[in-house]
Amino acid sequence: MSQPLRHTLDATPWRMSRDRFLDSSTIWMLLIGAAALFLLLLVGYPIAYNLVMSVQEVTLGNLPSFSRPWVGLQNYRQLLADPLFLLVAKNTLVFTVANVAVQFVLGLGLALYFQLSFPASSFLRGLVLVGWMLPPLVIGAVWKWLLGSDSGFVNYALQGLGLISGKIYWLADPSLSLLAVTIANIWFGVPFNMILLAAGLAGIPADIYEAAALDGAGPVRRFIWITLPLLRPTIYALLSLTTVYTMRAFDLIYTMTHGGPLDSSNIFPVWSYRMSFELFDFGGGAAIATAMFALVLVVALAYVRSVNAERPM
Amino acid sequence: MSRQGSAGDGMRRALAPVRSWLLTTGGIAIAAVYLFPVYWMVISSLKANPELFAATPTLYPHAPTLAAFRWIFARENVGLYLQNSAIISFSVTALTLVLATGAAYALARIRTFWTAAMVVAIMAVQVLPPPLLVTPMFVIFRQIGLVNTQFAVILATTTKVLPFAIIMLRTSFAQIPVELEEAARVDGCPRFVAFFHITLPLARTGYIVVSSLVFLLAYGEFVYPLSLMNHKELQPGPVGLYSFVGADFADWPDALAFATVFVAPVIVLYMFLQRRIVSGLTAGALK
Repeated sequence: MSQPLRHTLDATPWRMSRDRFLDSSTIWMLLIGAAALFLLLLVGYPIAYNLVMSVQEVTLGNLPSFSRPWVGLQNYRQLLADPLFLLVAKNTLVFTVANVAVQFVLGLGLALYFQLSFPASSFLRGLVLVGWMLPPLVIGAVWKWLLGSDSGFVNYALQGLGLISGKIYWLADPSLSLLAVTIANIWFGVPFNMILLAAGLAGIPADIYEAAALDGAGPVRRFIWITLPLLRPTIYALLSLTTVYTMRAFDLIYTMTHGGPLDSSNIFPVWSYRMSFELFDFGGGAAIATAMFALVLVVALAYVRSVNAERPM
Repeated sequence: MSRQGSAGDGMRRALAPVRSWLLTTGGIAIAAVYLFPVYWMVISSLKANPELFAATPTLYPHAPTLAAFRWIFARENVGLYLQNSAIISFSVTALTLVLATGAAYALARIRTFWTAAMVVAIMAVQVLPPPLLVTPMFVIFRQIGLVNTQFAVILATTTKVLPFAIIMLRTSFAQIPVELEEAARVDGCPRFVAFFHITLPLARTGYIVVSSLVFLLAYGEFVYPLSLMNHKELQPGPVGLYSFVGADFADWPDALAFATVFVAPVIVLYMFLQRRIVSGLTAGALK
C-alpha cells in the first residue's frame, strides 16, 4: 500500500519509531477509520435501526425500550392502504419531475448566458449563486411573504400586468399549493444547476467549437452535436443529484404550507416526518423513510456511476 | 466566401462594444430579477405596519424604520437564537474539519479497491436527506439520553456535512504532488511535520471553501434542531424563524426582520469568498 511513498522511505535507515508508526498502514487506517466509524455509528446504524423500526410498532410509550412488538409488514400495508398514499405519491412525482426539469433548463440557460464572455459575467453569475447559499428557512419565509394572498408582491405584480383580476390564494388553495412550493424550490435550486453546468461547459475544449465552426456548423448545431454530448456525464450526475436534493425540500414545504392545505403539497419526506413527530407513529414514519432510502440509494448509485465515468480516479 | 468572411469579421469587431454592453445589461437584469426576493425581504423588514401591508406595495420604504429589529432583539430573544446558531455551526465546522482532514488525506494518498469503495459509500451517504434520517436518530438519541442537547444536534448535523467535506478535501489533497512531501522527508522532515508544514498550507484554498460551505450548511440546518431539541432556549436561528413564519398567520414584521438579521452573516461571508467558493464548487463539487 502507498507505493509512491515507500520507494524513497525504505532507503532511509535513520527513521525513528514514531516515523515508522506514522508511515505504517496503521495510521492510514486510523485516519480513515475515525471518519468511517463516525458515519457508521451515526448514519449506518440509524438506517439499519430504521429498517428494524419499520417492522415494529413504535409509539411514544415504548420509545425508550428495545423490546417492541413485531408487526411484520403491517406498517407498510397500512401505508399502502392509507387514502393519503396515492395523493402523496402523485405530489412527490409531480414535484420532483417539475423541479428537476425546470431547474435543469433554467440552469443550463443561465450557464450558457454567463459563459458568453462579457464584462462582469463571472461576478454576476456569482451574485445569482447567492440564492443557493441562503438558509432554506429564510427562503421559505421570503416566498411565503411574496406569495401571500393579501399583501404578497406576486399577486400585486400579476394584477399590475393584467394577468389576473382577483387575488390568488397560492398557499391556501389546494390546487395551487404544490405549484407555490415548486416555484420556491426551483428558485432555490437553479443556481446549483447553473454552477455545475457552467463547470461542465468550461471543460469543453474551445478548439472543438472552432473546428466545427470552420466546417460551417452554426450555433444551434454546435450546441446539439458538441455541447450536449460532451456535457452528458455532467448532465447525468446533475439530474441524479437534483432528484435526491428535491427530497430535502422538506424545509421549504414545512415552512410555507406544512404539506397542506388538505395534504395538497405533502410529499413523502414531509409525510414521514409528520407521521413520526406529529402523530408519534414512529413505525409508520420509519416505513416511509425506509422506502425512500431505497429510492435515494438507487439514484445515488446512478450519480456515483456518472461521476466515475466523468473522472476516473 | 473569404471576402464575405472578412467583411463579417470587421462588422463583428465594430459591434463588439455594443455586444458587450447588451450582454452585461442582460446579465444585470437576470441577477436583479433573480435576487428580487432577497431585496424584497430586506426592504419589507424596514417598513412599518400600514406600509408593510399596503394594497399597493411601495418599491422602497417611504418611511424606513428599524422598529421591528429593535423589537425582536429586545423582546423575542433573537440574540440567543443567533448565539445558539453560532455555537452549533462553529462546533459542526470544527468537528467536521478534524474528522475530514485525516480521512480525505488518506483517501487521496492511498488508491486501493477498498478506498475506492469507501469513496463511493461516502458519496452515497452525502445525498441522504435529513428528514428521513431524523426518525431513527431521534429514537436512538432518546434511548441514550442525548435528546434536548445541542451536542445531539452537532453530531447529527455533522453527518450531513462530513461526507461532502471529505470528498472536497480529498480533491484538494489529490492535486498536491506527493513528491513535495517526499522531498521534505528526504531532507529529514518527519511525515506528519511534512503534512502540517507543506501539504496543509498548500490545501489552504480547499480548506477555506470547505469550511465556509460546511459552516453555511450547518447554519441553515433546520430539521435536526427542530426534532432533537424542544427547549426553546437551546434552539438556533432556523427554528426561531420557524416560530415566526410557521403558523397560518405569520408575524410578518418580526419574521422579516429576523430573516434579514439571520441571513446577513451568510451574505457577508459569501461576498468575501465568492470567487473562491465558485471556483471551488466548479472544481470539486462533483468529483
